[in-house]
Amino acid sequence: MSEPLLRTEGLTRHFRVGKLFSRQVLHAVDEVNFTIGRGEIVALVGESGSGKSTIARLLARVYKPTSGEIYFEGRPLSSIRRRKERLAYASDVPMVFQDPYSSINPAYRVSHGIRRALRLHRKGLGRPEVERLLGEVGLVPPGKLAGKFPHELSGGQRQRVGFAQALAFSPKLIIADEPVSMLDVSIRIGLLNLMSELREREGVSFLYITHDVASARYIADSVLVMYAGHLVEEGPTEDVIQRPKHPYTQLLLSAVPDPRAPLGVSDAADVGEPPKVVNPKEGCRFQPRCPYAIAECETVTPLLRPLGPQRLAACHVAEADVGEPAA
Amino acid sequence: MRFVLRRLGFFVVTLWAAITLNFLIPRLMPGNAALSMMSRYKGHINPNAMHALEVAFGIKTHESLVHAYFTYIGNIARLHFGISLTFFPDTVTHQVLQALPWTLALVGTTTILAFILGTLIGLVAAWRRGGVLDGVLPPIFVITSAFPYFWLALLAIWLFSIKLGWFAESGGYDVTTTVAWSWAFVSDAFRHSVLPAVTILVTSIGGWILTMRNNTITVLAEDYVRMARAKGLSPWRIMWHYAGRNAILPNLTGFAMSLGFVVSGAILVEFVFNYPGVGWMFLQSVENQDYALMQALFLMITVAVLIAILAADGATAILDPRTRDRS
Amino acid sequence: MTLPSAAEAVVEPLEITRRPGADLWRAVAGNRKAVAGVLLLAFFLVLAIFPGQIAPYSGTAEDFGRGLGPSSAHWFGTTAYGQDVLSQLISGTRQSIIIAFAVGGLATAIAVLVGVSAAYLGGVADGVLSLITDVILVIPIFPLIIVIAAYERNSGLFTLVVVLGALGWSYGARQLRSQTLSLRSRDFLEAARVRGERRFYVIVFEIIPTMTSLIVASFLGAALYAVLFAAGLQFIGLGDPNSQSWGTMLYWAENNEALGAGMVYWAIMPGVCVALLGAAFALLNYAFDEISNPALRLRRLERKAAQELEPAPAVAAAPDSEKILEVRGLSVAYASDDGPVVAVDNVDLDLRRGEFLGIVGESGCGKSTLLYAIARLLGAPLAGEITGGQVLFKGRNMVSMTERELRAIRWREYSVVMQSAMNALNPVLTVEAQMRDALKAHSDLSKREIEKRSKEVLRLVSIDPVHLHSYPHQLSGGMRQRAMIAMALLFTPDLIIMDEPTSALDVVAQRSLMVQIKELQERLGFAVIFVTHDMSLVSHFSDRLLVMYAAQVAEFGKTRQLFDKPLHPYTQGLLEAFPSIRGENMRLVGIPGHPPDLLRPPAGCRFAARCPHAHERCAIAPPLYDVEGDLVRCVLYEHDREAVAAR
Repeated sequence: MSEPLLRTEGLTRHFRVGKLFSRQVLHAVDEVNFTIGRGEIVALVGESGSGKSTIARLLARVYKPTSGEIYFEGRPLSSIRRRKERLAYASDVPMVFQDPYSSINPAYRVSHGIRRALRLHRKGLGRPEVERLLGEVGLVPPGKLAGKFPHELSGGQRQRVGFAQALAFSPKLIIADEPVSMLDVSIRIGLLNLMSELREREGVSFLYITHDVASARYIADSVLVMYAGHLVEEGPTEDVIQRPKHPYTQLLLSAVPDPRAPLGVSDAADVGEPPKVVNPKEGCRFQPRCPYAIAECETVTPLLRPLGPQRLAACHVAEADVGEPAA
Repeated sequence: MRFVLRRLGFFVVTLWAAITLNFLIPRLMPGNAALSMMSRYKGHINPNAMHALEVAFGIKTHESLVHAYFTYIGNIARLHFGISLTFFPDTVTHQVLQALPWTLALVGTTTILAFILGTLIGLVAAWRRGGVLDGVLPPIFVITSAFPYFWLALLAIWLFSIKLGWFAESGGYDVTTTVAWSWAFVSDAFRHSVLPAVTILVTSIGGWILTMRNNTITVLAEDYVRMARAKGLSPWRIMWHYAGRNAILPNLTGFAMSLGFVVSGAILVEFVFNYPGVGWMFLQSVENQDYALMQALFLMITVAVLIAILAADGATAILDPRTRDRS
Repeated sequence: MTLPSAAEAVVEPLEITRRPGADLWRAVAGNRKAVAGVLLLAFFLVLAIFPGQIAPYSGTAEDFGRGLGPSSAHWFGTTAYGQDVLSQLISGTRQSIIIAFAVGGLATAIAVLVGVSAAYLGGVADGVLSLITDVILVIPIFPLIIVIAAYERNSGLFTLVVVLGALGWSYGARQLRSQTLSLRSRDFLEAARVRGERRFYVIVFEIIPTMTSLIVASFLGAALYAVLFAAGLQFIGLGDPNSQSWGTMLYWAENNEALGAGMVYWAIMPGVCVALLGAAFALLNYAFDEISNPALRLRRLERKAAQELEPAPAVAAAPDSEKILEVRGLSVAYASDDGPVVAVDNVDLDLRRGEFLGIVGESGCGKSTLLYAIARLLGAPLAGEITGGQVLFKGRNMVSMTERELRAIRWREYSVVMQSAMNALNPVLTVEAQMRDALKAHSDLSKREIEKRSKEVLRLVSIDPVHLHSYPHQLSGGMRQRAMIAMALLFTPDLIIMDEPTSALDVVAQRSLMVQIKELQERLGFAVIFVTHDMSLVSHFSDRLLVMYAAQVAEFGKTRQLFDKPLHPYTQGLLEAFPSIRGENMRLVGIPGHPPDLLRPPAGCRFAARCPHAHERCAIAPPLYDVEGDLVRCVLYEHDREAVAAR
């Protein structure tokens, strides 16, 4: 199989928390392995505290991994030393942020970020390219909009500018960190469609980070589910959504409100909350809330194991597809 | 507890900085004013005291800087500030202690009074937004906060002493009265302190009123104030426990930071009124090149400010439970 | 699935007629303090630049009689040395202006350098810089300068400026540092970093331009301090006694006992000048504060005589006893910088006992304003006023009730749960204290009974009663939200109003909280009005649903009916905009465009610009039509049924 665009191996990131000499270590991300192929949209789904934002920042090289490695086009990121290489990676893997109100510098016109991106990575391209990019993300007329200040645009328009900024790099993979969660519902679809479209037109891959499973299903080819710093399930989108194997995924899916589903939902109210993972012990982190937990779950940390074609789940109790041996 | 320790640490560091400044400044200044001052002492004081002065002002250069520094600190720790030129042969320490009560009585009480009154007025002004108090006070106090203290003092003297003859023109007390805890003396002292007190009060209160008003307005827009209204609490309770207690917190920090201003103003007021406090003595010592006295008074003033700040910090810690939990 | 083309995503930019630079001018011109400050400053600037042309005589000439009183030749008399006071004043202006601007500039430059670097670099650098800043802030500057000047008298202007500037930056540095710290979490800084900008570039070109108002304020504050301190130093004789300045004038006046000798103007006028110049800076500083902090501006809603609020009857005609709440024709407006904005336009709704009503809509549609208007809780920061209509709660019109009457029924009969409990709970009081507040305000329970009831309601929402003694910041987000709900239940009111209580929670916590709310509702029998932007969430729990668009009711009917057969094109569009995890994964379209500007709403149907079925009839504002119990404001149904009323 050809080398995927991006691959992580044992990606781990810990933070020291607490007072000056404390020994408290927050395990934001632990031993995460996944791949992203060319022209693929991969959704990273999880709630707050699951570690998904930390993964975004690890990929964007805002943080360095505590251990483990990220391979981009076969080369490990830890081998990047010179400024030139750093810039090259930044232009291959840019990020789109969540908050349309803070992702653009309010003191400048909206074309500012795009211009800077072009200046740093694709010299020689000026105004015409800025307008072309604005047009690509659906901001028309681009000439007029390029001269506006951020506070003159709506939230949806600002997010489109964010995408234009990312596209300015001519990227291979865009990390989209909850790009639509702060937008109104009627605007979200437009931006999700834009992401699909960009993948078709430009062949850009996306890592779409979200807590909204439904939107992940809408555009993603494959889904990664995170819980408390661990990757607990992965596989093709439709498969994971329709036949979730990990109990957390099942809980998550059952909690998603669906206007088209019949009324009368009254699942047992689960009042648990994802744990803050500080100095964790061995064992499954979902175990306190899991209805299927067995004795082993408390002492042995489950690893991702294959349960079907391209399907992985980290659970002692999850069953393999029919025909596959339970590993 | 950590909070208290940190503030005490800051106290020590600042005190050390002030002491070191006292030590370094005469050595850094071009020319040697200290030398001329020293010659006036010659023959009048014992060799030990002479040596202490030499150390303090860097006269005998054969002693190493570091050695002199530690000797100096040692002297200060034992409160050996030397002999005052102005009040020869009295010790500096004794003189400082004479002046201290006057300043505490005048500056100390007026500052605290101004803070309390200013905070209350600011709170009420903001509470009755759009009322008479709110419309009239801010512009007036914005202007009065810009008045030089000493000028207001001169005006006060001119108006109330010279023209109207209501109050004494200068001094802390009538020089013909005996200094004692007698009614005659105390009431006389009181009469002499009215004008200086009013001057300080009028100039410094403006700042407190304005900041408290602005803080309160911001707090009144907070959700928890709306909740208090929703709960149907009495306006009195809302103003005190919800608005007031939260709005005063930044004001306390502001108090600490503007003490420097108040102190400078107080020095000038004492000067203009010939009021026998620390500030007046400070300026006298400068006039007379009585550097030993001057240095001690400088330290005294710094310590006073630091104590006031510690008190404000303590009040913040009591009123705001969040400071106690912060590391 | 087929892909939408770029053209489908066409979006019309919002019409903004002014550029932000123009914004500032307007703001300054409209602020009286700013205008006064600018005029004063301009006055002194002119004097400083052209003293020779303006002053009647030279400032140093000692040709006139000594100690003369005011006359037409000498407006303010002469000094004890025979100089003209007025001329001295005018020629002394220059030094004060120079000091103000030079020190202001120097101190601000250092403050920016130190404050921004400290915050941006963080770690040890921040610790050291902050410590230095705090120490300099605390050590009293004036005495320190006096100490320095004591060893080196007669220091010139240059020394004065340098010393004042080198010591006066700490306050500004502190403020700039905290502002930069709060900026550090802003994404555009991270975006700059991620795209490879150098640190220096980020500090100078990305951070500093966003803090211009703070920098200006810092400059003004430093200028003020410089003017006052310089005058003070010169007054006590530590400046150059031969220089031409206001402070030195005061020094010589004091030395000659001018006040006692009757040379009053000589002694007083220089101080007046210092005060006026200082006042100019102070006024500008204060005005700037107001301009950059919108909360400090007081805007009044002007009502034209014809729109005066009609005195509504205290009890309406034939209130329906089945209905616990009836809202008729409620309108709310607030004053914006550009004029009055109608946030809620003629809304009708009703609610039965124990009913769960969901109000949905997108940002800016007025749903929160509507909610708070019903609860009579408008005011900062929403800052709106009810301009018409009635709110009948159990038969009584809340709009015409006084605050005192309202206070009597608040919390007992209806309570409120707000969004984002971090801010809705008083940070300096314990949970217990906040419950006690409410209980004591409306009942006579003893201390023990209060405690008992508080624990009871906490248990209702599955919170361990030990948390009664916690402060809000010690609880997790989900717990805070549940604590708020517990508080709302203290008196088991008939109606609980909820403003997006679950928006800050994760989807699983959201679900469990909603289920809990529904259970409590069914158990205790209270009615609920639940405002949210998440239509699919509330649809599982609500009996009826009200869809708001651009301050108006777009559709209002039974939830299931609305979902199975949405009538209004907006509702249809909304339902189409939710991707689903069940069923086929179809391509969705959403609703292109954006809601109209409520400052100048369109005359006809407000949704027409985005509606796929728009036609000429939409130019007339449609009323609400009743279609099989579902009320819908759309002209598509005008021929089917009769209008409910001409609204």
